[in-house]
Amino acid sequence: MSDGLAIVVTALLVATATGLLGPFLVLRRQALMSDAVSHAVLPGIVLVFVLFGTRAPLPVILGAGVFAVLCVLAIDAFRASGLVRSDAAIGLVFPTLFALGVIGINTFASGAHIDLDATIYGEIAFSPFRTTEVLGVEVARSIPILGAVALVNLVLVAALWKELKVTTFDPEFARTTGFAPRLVSRLLLLAVAVTAVVSFESVGAILVVTMLIVPAAAARMLTDRLAPMVAVTLAIGWASAAGGYATAVELDASIAGAMGMIAAGAFAAALLLAPRHGVLARLAQRRRARRRVAAALASGRPSRP
Amino acid sequence: MGRLIDLLPLSYTNAVVLVGAVVLGVTAGVLGAFAVLRERSLIGDALSHAALPGVAIAFLFTGAKDATSLGAGAAIACVAAAVLIVLIERTGRLRPDAAIGAVLAGFFSLGIVLLTYLANFNNANQAGLDQYLFGQAAGLLERDVNVMAALCAASLLAVAVAFRPLKTTLFDPQFAASAGLPVRTIELAMTAMLVVAVVVGIRTVGAILMVALLVVPTVTARQLADRLGVVLVLAGVVGAAVGGAGALVSQSAELPTGPVIVLCGFGVATAAVLLAPRRGVLWLARRRLADRRRRLVEGVLVDLETALHAGPPPTARELALAGGRPPRAVARALRHLDRAGMLTRDGDRVLLSETGAAAAHALLERRELWSLWLEHGWRLALPDAREPDPTDVRASLGDDVVERLRALAVAGGPEAGR
Repeated sequence: MSDGLAIVVTALLVATATGLLGPFLVLRRQALMSDAVSHAVLPGIVLVFVLFGTRAPLPVILGAGVFAVLCVLAIDAFRASGLVRSDAAIGLVFPTLFALGVIGINTFASGAHIDLDATIYGEIAFSPFRTTEVLGVEVARSIPILGAVALVNLVLVAALWKELKVTTFDPEFARTTGFAPRLVSRLLLLAVAVTAVVSFESVGAILVVTMLIVPAAAARMLTDRLAPMVAVTLAIGWASAAGGYATAVELDASIAGAMGMIAAGAFAAALLLAPRHGVLARLAQRRRARRRVAAALASGRPSRP
Repeated sequence: MGRLIDLLPLSYTNAVVLVGAVVLGVTAGVLGAFAVLRERSLIGDALSHAALPGVAIAFLFTGAKDATSLGAGAAIACVAAAVLIVLIERTGRLRPDAAIGAVLAGFFSLGIVLLTYLANFNNANQAGLDQYLFGQAAGLLERDVNVMAALCAASLLAVAVAFRPLKTTLFDPQFAASAGLPVRTIELAMTAMLVVAVVVGIRTVGAILMVALLVVPTVTARQLADRLGVVLVLAGVVGAAVGGAGALVSQSAELPTGPVIVLCGFGVATAAVLLAPRRGVLWLARRRLADRRRRLVEGVLVDLETALHAGPPPTARELALAGGRPPRAVARALRHLDRAGMLTRDGDRVLLSETGAAAAHALLERRELWSLWLEHGWRLALPDAREPDPTDVRASLGDDVVERLRALAVAGGPEAGR
């Protein structure tokens, strides 16, 4: 398997795993959960290093995973108290966990070189070099791992489609008709936490954060229904992964950064050009309405839409 | 500021950091309120990530890592990001969190691409540019503190002068626009002030910790007050207290300043969410518990009065059976009544003391009044339309009205009241 193909497949799997969850986060006003998790895992990494003196991937992922779960559950608890909105809850919890991590580094590990870039914040360009054998074929380790995560997310979203939909759009109705909005919300957040931590290690935090938010935000501009929104999210994610790799090779720039740029470009295009909700469409609608009113005033008859 | 720093009984460096932390706390507290109340709490997060491409572009132009030009680059990028966030929100299709997230991811990706570009085509001098984003409070200079104090004073003054338009725009932009306020200008000015606070704060406590400094004071103040003016003042006070306390603790414990400030802030905000009167989670739980106990005790009191009325004094067990309550709950209620001097015991049989009987009668009268109100209250012509408190109709309506209510009940059906 060539290096380029391994990188693109890895990125496609990340785009799939995140694209299945991103639309729900955007619709539930929790888009920044991924960024919160990316910072909140720091104390987990530090703790593993202090206790076991290791930066091996598996213990680091476990330590980070514990704090990612802690982070999303704490945010959910603040939000569920009804006293703090979900954005403020995120802003309370993740800087605190990050601060714990910084203090930990400062106190116990200032001598050791424990760097965010070097531990969990992986780099997608290196993914082809860390290989493993699957059924006698040597492939990049990130591919089976991320494939499993994407599959789990697919099963989760498919199995809980109705529950996710109703609790996202009308939690009160969901509660009165016997769904469990808190449980569904926690399951979704746990899936986000696990997906984020596992993907950080393979492709780096910023790509995961970007892929969880930007394609879903672009899809929100383009669609009005949930199923098409998820489909468009996945399509934009895949296009950014493939297009980003080509651009990065062309410009000799950071692969994750280039994929993020393509996704951001897709978002900007959707924002401006979306047929019904885009900025230009809105301007045109407003101009038509103004002209109609002017014409009606001139003719002296009431305007009709 | 110089004189204030000299007055403090601390070493010069520590005094500078303390004053800086307090000033930053006030600024972030007051300006943060305008972000948190608009669901834009995490705008600080986006701005601090958005600074990266600004820093990279500034370096691209000047080729030098000097604080002024890098700071200017960061500030310009932050302003661009903030304006973009406001514009994206204005399309009405995306909530603030998605707008913030998209801008954060886009700018940071651009920043990374620019950094790799610099690494490829420039010398190795660019190394450490991204470290600019991680602040160092210990490296704070008196000059920085003076700048911060001036910005703080200017933004507080602006908030005080424009309080009313700011408030209207914050809570009801549509009304503000129809009342002729320049909503877009006000919103941009508000965002610009926030950018100033964030850019200043990044240098002091670092990018991520700045997020908490914007959020903590308002979350805390919001649990304690309902009016914007009070929330703003409280947020300023909480910000100053958290900044000051964090700086002092970090100095005595020899820990990094920013993280300790954030931990202090988290403690304060969590305490407010748990304990705030009339709102806190634990406060409400305690009141619910007290309510439940009061209902139980009152129920047992009435059961006992009824039993005494009907026959010989009951035992605790008979009382539980008569009321259909768990025996342990009845025993608990009886202990409570005993402590209040409402019971006399005759072996294992219970009787009401004089105060107990009086309390039971008062309670029954209150209940009777409520059912009278439900049945006949609609026929009373009252000066206002308030519903009385179900547990105490007499106190909410007055003796006079209660007498009229009783008269209506005695007279019988609706016709008699006319």
